[in-house]
Amino acid sequence: MSKETTLSRRNALKLLAGQMALLVAGCSRPREEIVPYVRMPERLVPGTPLQFATTLDLGGYGRGVLCTSLEGRPIKIEGNPLHPASLGATDAFAEATIFSLYDPDRSQAVRQSGEISNWAAFLDALQPRLESLAARQGGGLRILTGPTTSPTFMRQIKSLRQRFPLLEWHAHDPLDDPSAREGAAMTFGRPLRMLQRLADADVVVSLDADPLGAGPLQILHARGFAARRQARKGGDAVARLYAVESAPTLTGANADNRLTSPLAQITAVAVAIARKLGAVMPEAPLGKEEAAFANELAQDLSAHKGRAFVMAGPALPPDVHALCHWINAQLQAPIDYFEVDGEALPSSLTNLMRDCEAGKVDSLFILGCNPAYDAPPSGRLAEAIGKAKLRAHLGSHFDETAALCEWHIPQTHILECWSDLVAPDGAASLVQPLIAPLYESRSVHEVLAAIDGSVASGHDLVRETWTASAPANEFERWWRRALQDGVIVGAAVKPASNLSPALPQMTSRAAESLMLVLRPDPCVYDGSLANNAWLQELPKPLTKEVWGNSIGIAPADAGALGIVDGDVLRLTANGRSVEAPIRIASGHAPGVLSLALGHGRTAAGRIGTGVGTNAYLLRVDSSWTIGGIVATRTGERRPRPSTQLQFSLEGEAADLFPSYTLEQFRALDGTVPETNAPTFLPAQRETGARWGMVIDTSLCIGCNACVVACQAENNSPVIGPDEVAAGRDMHWLRIDAYEIGSFGNRRTGFQPVPCMHCETAPCEPVCPTGASVHDSEGLNVQVYNRCIGTRFCEANCPYKVRRFNFFGYADGQEYGDLGADVMRAHNNPDVTVRSRGVMEKCTYCIQRISRARRAADKEDRPIADGEVVTACQSACPTRAISFGDLSQGEASVSALRREPQHYNLLGHLNTKPRTTYLAQVRNINAQLIGKEE
Amino acid sequence: MSLAIPSWRGAREAGPPLLPESATDASITAMIADPVLRGSAGRGWWIAMACAAPLALITVIAIARLFWSGIGLFGINATVVWGIPIANYVWWIGIGNAGTLISALLLLTRQQWRASINRFAEAMTLFAVCIAGLFPILHLGRPLYFYWLAPYPNTMTLWPQWRSALVWDFWAILSYLLFSIVFFYVGLIPDLAAFRDRSVSRRGRVIYGAFALGWRGSARQWRLHNVFYMAMAAIAVPLVCSVHSIVGLDFAASLMPGWQETIFPPYFVVGAMFSGFAMVVLLAAAIRWGFGFQNVLTVRHFEAMALIILASSLIMTLSYATEWFSGWYGGQAAERGEIAFAFAGAYAPLFWLQLVCNCVAPQILWWPRMRRNISALIAVSLAILAGMWFERILIIWNTLSHGYLPSMRRLFVPTLEDWLLLIAPLSLFAMLFLIFLRLLPAISIHEMRQLRHERSRP
Repeated sequence: MSKETTLSRRNALKLLAGQMALLVAGCSRPREEIVPYVRMPERLVPGTPLQFATTLDLGGYGRGVLCTSLEGRPIKIEGNPLHPASLGATDAFAEATIFSLYDPDRSQAVRQSGEISNWAAFLDALQPRLESLAARQGGGLRILTGPTTSPTFMRQIKSLRQRFPLLEWHAHDPLDDPSAREGAAMTFGRPLRMLQRLADADVVVSLDADPLGAGPLQILHARGFAARRQARKGGDAVARLYAVESAPTLTGANADNRLTSPLAQITAVAVAIARKLGAVMPEAPLGKEEAAFANELAQDLSAHKGRAFVMAGPALPPDVHALCHWINAQLQAPIDYFEVDGEALPSSLTNLMRDCEAGKVDSLFILGCNPAYDAPPSGRLAEAIGKAKLRAHLGSHFDETAALCEWHIPQTHILECWSDLVAPDGAASLVQPLIAPLYESRSVHEVLAAIDGSVASGHDLVRETWTASAPANEFERWWRRALQDGVIVGAAVKPASNLSPALPQMTSRAAESLMLVLRPDPCVYDGSLANNAWLQELPKPLTKEVWGNSIGIAPADAGALGIVDGDVLRLTANGRSVEAPIRIASGHAPGVLSLALGHGRTAAGRIGTGVGTNAYLLRVDSSWTIGGIVATRTGERRPRPSTQLQFSLEGEAADLFPSYTLEQFRALDGTVPETNAPTFLPAQRETGARWGMVIDTSLCIGCNACVVACQAENNSPVIGPDEVAAGRDMHWLRIDAYEIGSFGNRRTGFQPVPCMHCETAPCEPVCPTGASVHDSEGLNVQVYNRCIGTRFCEANCPYKVRRFNFFGYADGQEYGDLGADVMRAHNNPDVTVRSRGVMEKCTYCIQRISRARRAADKEDRPIADGEVVTACQSACPTRAISFGDLSQGEASVSALRREPQHYNLLGHLNTKPRTTYLAQVRNINAQLIGKEE
Repeated sequence: MSLAIPSWRGAREAGPPLLPESATDASITAMIADPVLRGSAGRGWWIAMACAAPLALITVIAIARLFWSGIGLFGINATVVWGIPIANYVWWIGIGNAGTLISALLLLTRQQWRASINRFAEAMTLFAVCIAGLFPILHLGRPLYFYWLAPYPNTMTLWPQWRSALVWDFWAILSYLLFSIVFFYVGLIPDLAAFRDRSVSRRGRVIYGAFALGWRGSARQWRLHNVFYMAMAAIAVPLVCSVHSIVGLDFAASLMPGWQETIFPPYFVVGAMFSGFAMVVLLAAAIRWGFGFQNVLTVRHFEAMALIILASSLIMTLSYATEWFSGWYGGQAAERGEIAFAFAGAYAPLFWLQLVCNCVAPQILWWPRMRRNISALIAVSLAILAGMWFERILIIWNTLSHGYLPSMRRLFVPTLEDWLLLIAPLSLFAMLFLIFLRLLPAISIHEMRQLRHERSRP
């Protein structure tokens, strides 16, 4: 060994240092263990999704869904075609259920006085109290729930009453419609529930009602509406929808003829119609437009006897509802009435409060509702509840009500528990868990069982309920069938018949100078969904506002107050006041303000707390209107973020959103003009399918189900209010809203805009790295790996449908707590989670195409028409979106492209889009148009 | 009054001389070289450096911040996807254009007054192109992959997408930068030799000597140098035109209203010359004042530049008018809407300011007194530099904010990062220029001497 290579002390230390440096430089990703299955669960093939039927809850009613589960993780909700309240479609709330499941803010442990405790400790505390309650026949035992239809719940209440005969069950529904209930009671003598069949009606008159708006009936009504909007060549049967409303609703936006009137005038319109139909009652003073409108309504309604009805909204008083029942009876309207089980009717929250204050309540169980937030704020709730000796709260979050209770028990998510629910038409279906509870949580049924002194699993409790319904000795088969179908055959309720409503006495009311009309929020509904970031970031159908609510006001009223969009207004009524920014919107009657409920939560979680204004604060009871409002300017400005700025169009609407009246549509001669102009560009080489999408704008009601479905399917990130305000929303599918029409038929046209997948796509030639390319089936695809983020593609996209990751929205720079580990579980593993700095856009759900192709290849057959269903298409309650292979001439999309009202968006640019539209066809009553506002 | 750029011969009869009568070869060399080699930097230089260096450091901080957090720091959004970096890029490329254009074009047309300004104009080009080249990288979503625009052999076996104007742009900038370096360097060789010979320190002699490549000033070397330099100048002119034409194509090769204009390439070249000359006027005024170069940077030089600026302004005005007319005459609603938006939309104040700066302000140069008034010329130049920046940003904002679909019309709101990267690079430029002044001859020594010899020729 030469001298140079001898390892001296210095050299040894140098080498050691070098080695250390290498170690540091050689850092790699942390090692993660993968534990393989020891015993493989049956049917579970990694990478192959499974679908299970279950039922989701909205306002206590069930909507049947199919939940896609991958390796035991629920990742997507689809509609269940067999379920009558879903019919294969979903709504925004159903789609967003996945996000709620993985919400990092969900309550994860039992708490006693805010300290972490456990279920056993709760049972220990419960036991002595239950024994003393049993000794007193259950006097002082109260259960407060939200609205529910669960048969198992009803059975459990009945069984509890055997042990505790004096038990009282109270229910509190913040979105209750007392007018409808009282109106029915006034007319029929008992609280009948009704279900309008829009599909069977030629003329529908909505008096401030919102059948197409958010709610448990939205899908059902939307499908009925769409069934009568199919304007197709060689046969159209287009119904007519009239709306008279005080503040904008989705129904009014989709009406053929709309009139905005104050509520008192709407009542007068109802009276006028009734008088025209032969009612003997005093005339109500009518405005000029209202009179003309009422006249036409009455004529149109009576001309379609048996196929027409009137419906009244919750803001109208009970006697108007009663009057509508009478009108509908005269019209032999297509409406089903359902008996309500009088015994199953719960007591009210008001009664509970009264009893609490009287010291009659010993133990109070608040199960899955949040009265501390959504009950009318008498200021006495906290004090009243405080008088109960045992206060236990079951809730998915440690919310406003949990803070008032000694015990808090985490509630299992609906995708984690067993239960059952009933649809609005009476069809029952089962709720089955898709995943074991993520946390130490209990369902309502398990808590009720604990109160009953038994320890039973939700599974056994639900089975027990249905044992009697199954044919003898065939329960297991029956049960499996019920779970598989997602609907219980034969459980539907028969509608009531032979009803003869009486003409009600109308009480006259003084007109209010300034009235606030409340509406459920189209995105967070009653506020229980406020911590769902998908819903918070969902643009409201009409205003395109996100993250909060604002006061809607008529332009004239705003002018009188000297305020503009974004100015904060203070509303004072009943000694309480709230502040919110305003949004000027036509469609508000003079003197009418509107505000959505469901915002301004104080303990919703890291997403929903402090977003928007709590409109519940102004309520005195469950009323939907608040009269005698005093509006004052605060001088502050707080514009709400919105994804679509509002300004007057420069005449583009006629090009971008053409609209025909039914007469014009029938006059179209049926030949479709060739929309593609000659081009120098070579045709795309396409070898297989030619995918295309046709969207019927006559059918789109703007409900947003497709937007959330797309977000869920394609792992689109949530970016938060500030980023939306900066104009960086990430939805791949947006719904453009056009205000069109003139007085009497002004309405909003909805145009869903996904990627157009142009054949001569302007985005492709400008990309320097070839990240935007055309595939052999006509898809314009984005290669995320290849994208370096020049954004030239979006700059050059005339439709502006591309979305850019300005920050790592899904990749280390998430909004709020959305970067939590548990949130990763909601991602669809078939879709890349995009990193910072890359462009993304609608792919036509290429992963679904690919799955269908693999399935077809395995069986050596072509992909059948309708086999590929995109997420937006699958969600759509009105089936406005069609997707398929244009190379199959007989495919439904090809047929739609030959319709006379078919058009290319910005067709003159000759981009040859694959997503095309059917222009809107409206069945306008021509007598009511042409009058200037 | 003649509008022609004064030729050397004509000018000798008309105006004051470009060089003092008494100048000798030695005095010219001493005048230019001594402040660099022998003199101290002087208070003015240090003050300027003290102002520029911290701000230049901010450029580095702003870039680090950008790389750390992502380009969401800019005010761009899903509609206005391009913002201030692109406008800065076009603006700096425009500045960068003028140096080589002035040097080469004036050399080819034998405008001998160029000898005083070509060196620092070329330096300006180099620095401006370097800074300009930063912006396309900074604006990328994933800046670490900028080299994917180059067709290098890679395991993905992918090449750039040649139809994209951005790839053309990449080549245009790269070739222009390389060319500008070589052109600058070749012109510098005889002067480097002069510096080598006059340097007082050994280190200076070694370094300047190494870069002088053994220049001895032999007749053969001069002949080769002249041939090569003229040949390069001949290549330079089309290259200069191509580089900004291609920048114009970044916009013109698109589908957007207000961008798809066939006039863009020539109009961008003239715009570049316009703003470039404005910048040269500013730098010339600074150098003249800083080094006391009143003898070699005479009022006649400024007058000549003022005339070019005036002519460019007229061409720009004509180009604007053509753009508006063709937009209107084309009859497309989107084009007309975009023009109406420019005149009366959200950015209209900037637009009117742009017209005042680019079209109205230079008109004072019709008056010979104004052309010879250096303060007035500086004011006009500043207005033009601002106006041309407004033009570039408005080309982006107006088109993107007022696209085809009204639902996606959004405005741009600048952020802190935008402001930082707008202002700080100016200091970086100033700092680089200050360093240049202390290291190299700001005026070409050999060409000034050549000028003296030509003048003394009968």
